[in-house]
Amino acid sequence: MSKHVFNKTNLFIALQYLSARKKQSFLATIGVLIGVTTFIVMINFMTGVNDFLDDAVFNGSPDIIVSAQAKENATKKSFSIAINTIENTGKIDSVLRKNQNVQSFAHQVISPAILISDTRQFPGSINGVFAAQESKMVDLERRLVQGEGFQSLSKENNILLGISLANRLQVSTGDHINMILPNGKNIQLKVSGIFSFGITTIDNVRTYVSANVLQNLLGENDIVTNVHIKLKNRDDVSLKTDVITVIDGVSTEDWKDSNKTIVIGNKVRDILTWSVSFALLLVAGFGIYNILNITVIHKRKDIAVLKTIGYSSNDIIFIFLIQSIIIGIIGAILGGVLGYAISYLISTTPLDTSDFIIVDTYPINFKFSYYILGFWFGVLTTIFSGYFPSKKASKVDPVTIIRGI
Amino acid sequence: MILEAKHINKFFQEPETHQVLKDVSISISEGELVSVYGESGSGKSTLLYVLSTLDTDFQGDLKIQNQEIKQLPSAGLTSFRNKHIGFVYQFHYLLPEFNVLQNVMLPAMKLAQKSKEEIKKDAISLLGEVGMGAYTKRPSYQLSGGQQQRVAIARALINNPSLIIADEPTGNLDQKNSDLIFDLLKEITASKNKSVVIATHNSKIYSNSHRAIEMIDGFIRL
Ligand SMILES: Nc1ncnc2c1ncn2[C@@H]1O[C@H](COP(=O)(O)OP(=O)(O)OP(=O)(O)O)[C@@H](O)[C@H]1O
Ligand SMILES: [Mg+2]
Repeated sequence: MSKHVFNKTNLFIALQYLSARKKQSFLATIGVLIGVTTFIVMINFMTGVNDFLDDAVFNGSPDIIVSAQAKENATKKSFSIAINTIENTGKIDSVLRKNQNVQSFAHQVISPAILISDTRQFPGSINGVFAAQESKMVDLERRLVQGEGFQSLSKENNILLGISLANRLQVSTGDHINMILPNGKNIQLKVSGIFSFGITTIDNVRTYVSANVLQNLLGENDIVTNVHIKLKNRDDVSLKTDVITVIDGVSTEDWKDSNKTIVIGNKVRDILTWSVSFALLLVAGFGIYNILNITVIHKRKDIAVLKTIGYSSNDIIFIFLIQSIIIGIIGAILGGVLGYAISYLISTTPLDTSDFIIVDTYPINFKFSYYILGFWFGVLTTIFSGYFPSKKASKVDPVTIIRGI
Repeated sequence: MILEAKHINKFFQEPETHQVLKDVSISISEGELVSVYGESGSGKSTLLYVLSTLDTDFQGDLKIQNQEIKQLPSAGLTSFRNKHIGFVYQFHYLLPEFNVLQNVMLPAMKLAQKSKEEIKKDAISLLGEVGMGAYTKRPSYQLSGGQQQRVAIARALINNPSLIIADEPTGNLDQKNSDLIFDLLKEITASKNKSVVIATHNSKIYSNSHRAIEMIDGFIRL
């Protein structure tokens, strides 16, 4: 005698019941399929966008920015606009070198300036960088659309431009533009590279020149206005406060402060993905619960007969539960396939550049683990919704039913 | 003795506590055909549910094939019933999702002592014996009442049980079919040396049994 409820006979009975109700079984499967498909597509898309933004933003900007605080008697001299400089960069450097969580850091000279091409002009904020340091902070090679990266800055009076800014100035690599500082000094720069991070907020305004160029124009050698820091563990931003307590006259900002909208956007997308998928699977689960429940009520006589001819309560639970699990497995597998197909279609759909993101097609994440997750999500829903009707079926008392037949 | 019931008392709690079986003792030997008759409400069905181990909520001793029924755990009871007792109802309940052959095979597939092929062979030969050999592939709901009852008899016999319990097996049939079914039941159980207990209102049945027991208000008249 078979002790295990998982046997061919019980499976045969379950399949017979399923195929006797083809339409209902089909609809229930479609329910699971829709839930799992939605989950896969949404999580592929949402995490695709999240990862894309994370990558672009966190690659393009530092985790912590140390900048000089405005001073009462800022070195005015010939400046018409005060440039706040960090006095004791040496002390900051030694603090950063000792910190375990610092991956790399770079000095910058940041100054407002007006960029003038043959046809256009735009005011902007210019990043004066030390090429060797900065190339450890930002992987610009990967972002280049034209020309060269940071190494081109060490040679001549070169400038690197974000793609949207270059478009607005109507320049490409090799063209020359003029840069005028607030103190009236100006210099002609050659566009040696054009890059795109894919995010409007960066590509619209970001420019890189050599720090020496700005230092010369400002008439102050060795000045530094900002220190940019990349962390090993981005979630630990304790350094932000550590620096302020050790160094006077500086303020700090971390990536969460600088990218509030993106951080919130990521959260919103996560919540949306999980809640919509959960709601859909809840509906699918409730559908299965309903179908099985009605079946159990209709089939009380059959269950009573099965019990009188030797099928135990556990057999009955299995016979009904496996029906819903089969629906779950089929729905989840088909949902995974359809989810992949739709995600693939979306990933190849050309995308008009929006105000926010600059990409050719939608960013989609194709992680295998999401399919595993979606599968379990679907199957667990059906196990859960099938369990109670199955339990109810197993409780049918054959004597009561047969008396009533 | 195939079956020995001693001092069976059975109470129902609703609507108020009342006794339906009153000190019933009955024993059935191998190959014996016993019918139970009596007025409606006298307790025939209740007694049959107790004897077939479907209802274990009673007082007294019940031994089938020398097995003390009350000592079996509920899972053991189900498989005991599967192996030793065949049941035929008044409404010959076949499972409509399955065809005639599958209905007969189901108890044996649960018992799982034979291969599916052997079970199929047994079922086909039993269906032949009850005169339903031509209907094996039919969905069970396409049969007449009398035909369904024949299939139900084959189903009750598939595991080769020692005891067949039938609660008004002809109660839902016209006189002609009723006679045919009873004759079939009698012949087939005699040829296989089975013990049979039949509850019935049909005088033809209880006058043609080896032994007829009358139930009156929960007692059996000896
Ligand atoms: N679940 C129950 N709860 C309370 N009383 C019950 C229950 N089932 C049966 N009874 C009562 O037990 C008594 C015997 O019923 P039973 O069905 O055994 O009679 P019967 O002899 O088979 O009658 P019939 O010839 O009509 O089939 C009846 O009075 C009936 O009302
Ligand atoms: Mg009765």
